[in-house]
Amino acid sequence: MAKRVNSAVTFTKQSKSRNKNSRSLLVYLSDFSTVLVALVLFVFFGLTSTYFFSTANLVNILKQMSVVGVLGVGMTMVILIGGIDLSVGSVVLLSGAITGTLVYNYSFSPWLATTIGLFAGIIVGLINGLFVEKFGISPVIVTLGTMIAVRGLGQAILWINNSWVWVTNPFFITIAEGRILGFPIFAGIMIGLYILAFILLKQTPFGRYIYAIGGNQWAAHLSGVPVQRVKILAYVLCGLAASIAGIMTASRIGVVGPSVGNGMEFDAITAVVLGGTSLSGGIGGVERTFLGTAILVMVLNYMTIRGIPGIWQAAVTGFLILIAVLIDRLIRRRAEV
Amino acid sequence: MALLDTSTPILEMNGITKRFPGVLALDHVNFSVCPGEIHAIIGQNGAGKSTLMKILSGVYNADEGTISIGGRPVRITHPREALQLGIGTVYQELSLLPKLTVADNIFLGREPGNGFVINEKALLERTQAVLRDLGITSIDLNVRVEDLPLAQQQLVEIAKVLSHELKILVLDEPTSSLSEKETAHLFELLKSLKQKGIAIIFVSHRFKEILQYCDRGTVLRNGKVVKTLDLDGVTEDQLAEMMIGQKLESFYYRDKHTSLERGEAVLEVKNLSIRSKVKNVNFVLYRGEIVGITGLLGAGQNELARALFGIQENVTGTIIRNGQEIKIRSPSEAIKHGICLLTENRKAEGLFLEMSVKENITLPSLVSRFLRPPFFINNSSEERAANEFIKRLNITAHSGRTRVRSISGGNQQKIILARWLLKNLDILIFIEPTRGIDVGTKAEIYQYLYRLAKDGKSIVVVSPELPEILGISSRIFVMYKGTLARVFDEPSLISEEMLLAAIQGRNGNGKKS
Repeated sequence: MAKRVNSAVTFTKQSKSRNKNSRSLLVYLSDFSTVLVALVLFVFFGLTSTYFFSTANLVNILKQMSVVGVLGVGMTMVILIGGIDLSVGSVVLLSGAITGTLVYNYSFSPWLATTIGLFAGIIVGLINGLFVEKFGISPVIVTLGTMIAVRGLGQAILWINNSWVWVTNPFFITIAEGRILGFPIFAGIMIGLYILAFILLKQTPFGRYIYAIGGNQWAAHLSGVPVQRVKILAYVLCGLAASIAGIMTASRIGVVGPSVGNGMEFDAITAVVLGGTSLSGGIGGVERTFLGTAILVMVLNYMTIRGIPGIWQAAVTGFLILIAVLIDRLIRRRAEV
Repeated sequence: MALLDTSTPILEMNGITKRFPGVLALDHVNFSVCPGEIHAIIGQNGAGKSTLMKILSGVYNADEGTISIGGRPVRITHPREALQLGIGTVYQELSLLPKLTVADNIFLGREPGNGFVINEKALLERTQAVLRDLGITSIDLNVRVEDLPLAQQQLVEIAKVLSHELKILVLDEPTSSLSEKETAHLFELLKSLKQKGIAIIFVSHRFKEILQYCDRGTVLRNGKVVKTLDLDGVTEDQLAEMMIGQKLESFYYRDKHTSLERGEAVLEVKNLSIRSKVKNVNFVLYRGEIVGITGLLGAGQNELARALFGIQENVTGTIIRNGQEIKIRSPSEAIKHGICLLTENRKAEGLFLEMSVKENITLPSLVSRFLRPPFFINNSSEERAANEFIKRLNITAHSGRTRVRSISGGNQQKIILARWLLKNLDILIFIEPTRGIDVGTKAEIYQYLYRLAKDGKSIVVVSPELPEILGISSRIFVMYKGTLARVFDEPSLISEEMLLAAIQGRNGNGKKS
């Protein structure tokens, strides 16, 4: 029964007690274990590879983080309310396919096409939220259904154009390659979304409600929190984030094919878990997911630099998750007893 | 009984010290229990009772000190080891698995069978035997635990622990959800265990039970032992004074409450029925009064209270608020109409354990009070409001940022109270507001209820504890089998016996259903 939460706590700094014995230090560390892991990796990689610390590579890391990072923003919100969204990878395909087709085949302006693409993500999120909340079906089942259906829909749209659509309009090239004051727009979109989501979660009633619902949904209901609306909105925001990631992916690759976004839902969930957000809800935050994404991408980037074949990436990622969870659990246990 | 040596302690705990970050929870506590005695542990919330028991049952490890059982020193580092040593614990919070049946729960992990397949027949027989030994016959073994009322769940919990071979039985506030009759029954059971030479450690806030049934007691205050004493001839007041460490006078509440003056009607309930639970209840609630509702377990009082907050199904009837008929279909509608409810189940129905004290207090008031346009939380005014209530209600917490998980039960209850005081609604409904709370905190909460009524709020308190109902109510409603059987307009004129008679449906002149 006793639900042991397997992740570190929220970012709120506990009032530091005067006597800094080893236990309170451990409690303190458990709050920041993700930060530590990210820092240690960062320094270690930098010291063992001269190229790692180069500006070009750091910018590259940020760009590599961007798509998974944006997916992670939405996924964090859904996981915080105790849900999960498996459909985000398919939404990446759908929004890319819709936007690309509208521009390429029907000569829509890129702005309008992008807006419609984003709207598609919102609709999928809304469907997820309504099925989970209004009909009480488990989010795993609902989003598994939409994952398959939405991928099929995206592929059907691509089929109009022989299953491939080029996304080479200057608008999209700017998203992928443009810079403002030397900083890549691509990564800027991600960072902007993180800042927005952070403010949303920490500084608005909606954010507070998300933590309350994830912590104790019934008590939130009894406190007058509009539980259903908040949860549905979380799914909608997750769908929106996924469609933004979809436009970004399409812009970066320059072409949308039927397998775009495949498996990205798991990259996003991995980033959230690595960051230390609890899969049972109520504990965590986007700042943690940002670090989780950074750890994930840094490791893969380092492997590439050192010439380790890409075939090892999946294995390494998997072990990374296990190690992250283990470190966190060990620190927590020492701190609690 | 000649074989039984009841003067040598079976359990000795010496110099037990336990520190938590920033707190010395236990300070060189010495404690011993003899076979065949019921030993009470008495203390306010946060005095260290639960910590001491958790060390004994292997949940916590002591920082210093020794434990010996039957004269042999032992180390208990895990609840399993405690059970192997013959120490069984019944916790206040239930540890049952709600989706499993009664029988499955009692023999969880020890199911009879060949290791792969459970022998269902043997399982039922053994369960039956265990329950029969305990004199419990009213529980269906095949029912899922979640479908049982709380009191029966508690009995299952006790049966589960007693199905082991025990030398020492620890009961951590086992009676907080039991009615008087069930409590008496429980002690009947404890007496028979006592005769078998089992040492029983009993943690409770209820002095009456302690004095009636326990042989000796150990009083804890701020993590230290104040005294271990024979309970023969000790009075409730003496115990309370030892526990609090000061004279009692300031803690009495009665008489004052009858002086409340009621104002105009604020809520009118007409023909309220809840399928098979409540039948045709009619009453009017006035401004500035405290209505106490009591009755036997399952007489419908809890359902009635929950119906007024929109969390009860199958409710029919009319509710009139300030002259207008209203519908209450959800808590948010109830809150909109100025009604709030504090239930007895504060962990499951009230608290957000991972959130801070501040966040717990301000949650329902965020939008109405702490919004900085367009949609941000005004942190500084939020913090100020929370701190004010922490001070006003005397909540023991480092600061508003302390996580609720880390504070004691009585303070958690005050946090929920603070939440609704801040929301400042006109009608406050409490179900068992002082459940599992020590006398000191109880008195503070009663004081608060009184002040609220004085300020023109309407208060409803649902409670099975007759002294509480008699002590704080300006009117008393008695529920019997789903009907509002009696209304006492002058609580000061009736005795506990009269009230008890009404609750049991033995009233001579009341309305019969």
